[in-house]
Amino acid sequence: MLILSLCNFLAQKDGVRLYVGLPLDSVSDCNSVKHAKAISAGLKALKLLGVEGVELPIWWGVAERETMGKYEWSGYLALAEMVQKVGLKLHVSLCFHSSKESKIPLPKWVSQIGEAEPSIFFTDRSGQRYKECLSLAVDELPVLNGKTPTQVYKEFFESFKASFSPFLGSTITGISIGLGPDGELRYPSYDQQSKNSTVRGAGEFQCYDKNMISKLKPQAEALGNPLWGLSGPHDAPGYDDSPLLNNFFKDQGGSWETAYGDFFLSWYSSQLITHGDRLLSLASSTFNDSSVTICGKVPLMHSWYKTRSHSPELTAGYYNTDKRNGYEEVVQMFSRNSSKIILPGMDLSDDYQQNQTHSSPESLVEQIKTTSRKCGVEISGQNLMVSGPAEGFEQIKKNLRGDQAVDLFTYQRMGSDFFSPDHFPSFAAFVRSLNQQEWLLDDLPMNEEESPSRKNLQKQTA
Amino acid sequence: MSTMFAVGPLVHHRYGQIPCCLPPLFTKTPLKSSLNYHHRRTPLSVSYRRPVRTVRATETDATTTLTQTHQTTDVFTHTFPIRRPEKVEGKLIIKLDKGNSEGNWELTVGCTLPGKWILHWGVNYVDDMGSEWDQPPIEMRPTGSIPVKDYAIETPLKLSSKEQKVENLQRVKIEFSSNSSVAAINFVLKDEETGAWYQHKGRDFKLSIIDCLPGNRETIGSKKGSKKWPGALGQLSSMILKSEVVDSDGIERTDDLMGTNQRSTLKSFCEEHPIVKEAFVDNSVKVSVSTCPETEKKLLYMETDLPGDVVVHWGVCKDDGKNWEIPAEPLPIKTTNFKNKALRTVLQRKGEEGASSLFTMDQGFVGFLFVLKLHENTWLNCMGNDFYVPLSSSCALETLSTKSQSEGFIQNVLSDTEKSESSAISRGDALPDSTISEYTDEIINEIRSLVTGISSEKKRKTKSKETQETILQEIEKLAAEAYSIFRSPIPTFTESDVSEDIETKSPVKICSGTGSGFEILCQGFNWESHKSGRWYQELQEKAAELASLGFTVVWLPPPTESISPEGYMPKDLYNLNSRYGSVDELKTLVKKFHEVDIKVLGDAVLNHRCAHYQNQNGVWNIFGGRLNWDDRAVVADDPHFQGRGNKSSGDNFHAAPNIDHSQNFVRKDLKEWLCWLRKDIGYDGWRLDYVRGFWGGYVKDYMDVTEPYFAVGEYWDSLSYSYGEMDHNQDAHRQRIIDWINATSGTAGAFDVTTKGILHGALERCEYWRLSDEKGKPPGVVGWWPSRAVTFIENHDTGSTQGHWRFPGGKEMQGYAYILTHPGTPSVFYDHIFSHLHPEISALISVRTRNKISCRSTVKITKAERDVYAAIIDEKVAVKIGPGHYEPQHQHGNQNWSLAKEGRDYKVWEAS
Repeated sequence: MLILSLCNFLAQKDGVRLYVGLPLDSVSDCNSVKHAKAISAGLKALKLLGVEGVELPIWWGVAERETMGKYEWSGYLALAEMVQKVGLKLHVSLCFHSSKESKIPLPKWVSQIGEAEPSIFFTDRSGQRYKECLSLAVDELPVLNGKTPTQVYKEFFESFKASFSPFLGSTITGISIGLGPDGELRYPSYDQQSKNSTVRGAGEFQCYDKNMISKLKPQAEALGNPLWGLSGPHDAPGYDDSPLLNNFFKDQGGSWETAYGDFFLSWYSSQLITHGDRLLSLASSTFNDSSVTICGKVPLMHSWYKTRSHSPELTAGYYNTDKRNGYEEVVQMFSRNSSKIILPGMDLSDDYQQNQTHSSPESLVEQIKTTSRKCGVEISGQNLMVSGPAEGFEQIKKNLRGDQAVDLFTYQRMGSDFFSPDHFPSFAAFVRSLNQQEWLLDDLPMNEEESPSRKNLQKQTA
Repeated sequence: MSTMFAVGPLVHHRYGQIPCCLPPLFTKTPLKSSLNYHHRRTPLSVSYRRPVRTVRATETDATTTLTQTHQTTDVFTHTFPIRRPEKVEGKLIIKLDKGNSEGNWELTVGCTLPGKWILHWGVNYVDDMGSEWDQPPIEMRPTGSIPVKDYAIETPLKLSSKEQKVENLQRVKIEFSSNSSVAAINFVLKDEETGAWYQHKGRDFKLSIIDCLPGNRETIGSKKGSKKWPGALGQLSSMILKSEVVDSDGIERTDDLMGTNQRSTLKSFCEEHPIVKEAFVDNSVKVSVSTCPETEKKLLYMETDLPGDVVVHWGVCKDDGKNWEIPAEPLPIKTTNFKNKALRTVLQRKGEEGASSLFTMDQGFVGFLFVLKLHENTWLNCMGNDFYVPLSSSCALETLSTKSQSEGFIQNVLSDTEKSESSAISRGDALPDSTISEYTDEIINEIRSLVTGISSEKKRKTKSKETQETILQEIEKLAAEAYSIFRSPIPTFTESDVSEDIETKSPVKICSGTGSGFEILCQGFNWESHKSGRWYQELQEKAAELASLGFTVVWLPPPTESISPEGYMPKDLYNLNSRYGSVDELKTLVKKFHEVDIKVLGDAVLNHRCAHYQNQNGVWNIFGGRLNWDDRAVVADDPHFQGRGNKSSGDNFHAAPNIDHSQNFVRKDLKEWLCWLRKDIGYDGWRLDYVRGFWGGYVKDYMDVTEPYFAVGEYWDSLSYSYGEMDHNQDAHRQRIIDWINATSGTAGAFDVTTKGILHGALERCEYWRLSDEKGKPPGVVGWWPSRAVTFIENHDTGSTQGHWRFPGGKEMQGYAYILTHPGTPSVFYDHIFSHLHPEISALISVRTRNKISCRSTVKITKAERDVYAAIIDEKVAVKIGPGHYEPQHQHGNQNWSLAKEGRDYKVWEAS
């Protein structure tokens, strides 16, 4: 019928490919598809709208829940089949962290091991553990029933590959590898319950467990400064403190600029990069014959970006300051592994940031984009705020435009808010306007007044 | 005949989804498919609603379909095999006969439909008060029976050799003695080929041998004398009609029969129930194309052996794009135009053999596209694509060629949605919340205006306004459907139950649970109150003082035996001796409060309950005490407790087994318990703990039965924060609370967590502008539904010695100045009353009482700036909080304001 052609028309666009994230808890811990009916209706709606695919989080704590090496993919396979049936593409995210938001824990057996051996988790200066993912310091230590986490991740990859082989390369086009807290390549420098803080603070270094210190120590000794290897910085502020507090991150004469600071920050960030390298190369080699894109997520630590030290980036493991592009090494690492960067926060605009945070999401996005382009690494964008304000769409569009265009964007995330009458029409308008950009390029003469859908949107928010 | 048909395990099931409408509320049966038995008088019975699927575009296997015959006269023929679903009707026969010897009986269950039928059954024993099935005694089990788990038996039906009068009758016969310990036989019929289950009005069939079974059940065979058919499967011809009679009044509730603990009622009977199953039938469509030698027109002759009215929904195309177009006249007879997109032609019947029509088309068309429509909702297509017939033999026959998956998909969507409207509506109906349809409409309107937007654009490409509109309509429908499901992840529930209740009950008295509207609540305990072991006595000494302060309602701690001393981990609900005191002390306390005119709220923990015993895996999920539930009372989706109930209708509280409120027996027991508390202890209403854990609709059920004077639920979840900072707009947060209140149909209010959160933000950071929402109303629940909002600044969890979310220290009085002057029902925390804040709180309560401020008072925000918030309530009271300056203006000329109370960073005035 006629409709078919239009649908294809909507779907066929060369520019940005648009994905939408499925609910975090699409598959329950009993391995059944939650809200299957809603998801199925939602998938059809997205298909008709011209969206290319969906993103599906696959949780370690669901798929390998009970015992090590015992995988249960049935729920996810069922979802993949649903997606395939509708004719959408699928990007899966392998999540090796837990999610408080959707109450998805780490695998039971990992938590149990963690209770006996808490040093498998990141530890902060006050000795608090971050129990949402394993510490990168144990990557190569046989802490999981005699196996290293790296081995465990590898087996997870392999089992996934074997189970999903009918979908790989056809329906499944990309795989994100969970690299840390919230899946992002970073230290959990700010995740502790800081909800009462007014602005995001400097964050804290996470290098105080015995495994991290034991890695730091030989480095310091090799340098002839054994005292540097005994602990992390002493003069860094607390999680929610302003970086201007204490000495470490100060704009002028802060410890970060001293030889010690450089030593520590180099070591701290290199640990993170090595960790990323380890997992991405593992993934690349596992999936190299599957024609899927391997991705990893880089956080957008945009608070205090306008200060010189960029403290949140430093504590998160990115040695990026006003005089050093810390993303170069990171992007090169992605490039080495032919992996793609997923960058969240494309919906954030400087206009909506609190002044006192010296934040600049736009500049940081720009820096990462530029660095990536130099190294030929592609970027997939994401929004940070789940179904955020309508202004977010404008910012996203701005980020998708231009010569450093991002080729794929994943909108987070399907759920009741997403389909609510407050949100869905503006999303639909957003998708349309993405397409329209291309139409306008193709069909030059018909540049018209601002699309009526915008008016619509305003009417609605009024 | 309104029989519904069983649809076999359809796509959904493959995903392991728990089906909606799990009907058997008492069975242990792990029902995989849902019901499928329909009964005339119970349109509500487990209506097996599977919206999108009731109609399916049936796919035909077309890979091998095409045969092409070239004939000299340029005629060629295609034959498309078609597989269509067909309903097969039959009868389920249930017969009870006297056996060979005295006291022996034979129960025969038979089915006239061909197939592999299994009787899935179990019994109740005399002394077992529970409603669970048990396995029958060995001697009752026919040969060939297989035990299923430890509670049921499966016995295959066999073709009966004796009773040849009924064709294809398969049956199973169960013999039992009326003197045995078996009180009832329960069964369902299972179609092994499709996995479908056939039940009785959405429940198990039940034959009561003794009429003393508990529960609100319907039984078979319990009808009056005139409805008994002694014996004889031989009278079938007349029975189809009669079974209707049985349906209408042959069924009585066991309730009515209760108390007659007799065996004498067992009498022979025979009854029939219509049963319908869906089977696939193969047919074909044959299409021949030839060219008329004179006119050069293409003649297409279509013939099919499909029964009934066959409508061809068709069009033609000019190129390989297969875009549907409508040919010029003449059109075949009985042809109508469908929205200018296609034509519809009814094939002419040719007697029994089939139907056919002749189509004539001009030159220039290369293909003929069609789909077939059989009944209102059965569409047939070709593997998800249109049937395609090339019109000239020269053009390649690439019938099913390269259509992309998405194309096929759209057709499915189209045909699905075309008919899924009704199901969407029915879903809306099922939910008592009318807002859903409102929202749906909103979406539709929004997108509709989008469509207008699109159509105003002059696009050159081939997209007509109409097609775009069609697509967008589909999108909006789908989005609305997804939204309504995501938004109310209500299980399966019980359309039938609710509606039945409504049917049988006299109109429910509406209880709003808001008291007089002028209530002031006191939370009468803190986290430490259990420590003394004599809290009830201690509080009793304060009753008079609380009354003189102006409190009208007091909320007492959870009274039941509990694993944790504070009472929130209840175990035996009927044991009211707790760490707060004995049941007698509780009664005395309640009485004391009543003497001083204070109503008393019981803290009811309905979401979870701690178990008494472990199951075979060592998991604590077997309950003891008077409510000795087993693991079917526990929700299935908290793996810690291995429940066998349905999935939770809300969030799970992970420290204890979450109760599955979708189970009838659970609700019945809880209602009884609440009524007992109300009557025996004298509670006037409820504070409902952790209501996020289960659907508000169940709360409505409980409220309707217990008719509380006042009821408030604790729906506590997190506000929205972005980057560690609380968002100004907390509409989503309050919407969730409102949604819950809505789900209870307003029978209970809810704590206004939103207001507390926003007060935190405003006071902590000196951002008093937060206290006005975008529309200039209070930003919490109180701004949207004041009469159902119970405002508070602290409770035993947020403050006290737990301090999970403590109100900004030193600013409590600003909080009280706000909630005690504003609409909503304010709740004051015990710790604050009996502290240095006492005189200030007392003064504010007096202002509230004196000026008759109620939960429905109006509020006008006069200032909401960085350092000051001010509002005027009912034009009688003005309040400001925050360090900034504010003085109320003389409004209507003659209105003067006099200061009633002031404290640190707040002032309250009264109009004089």
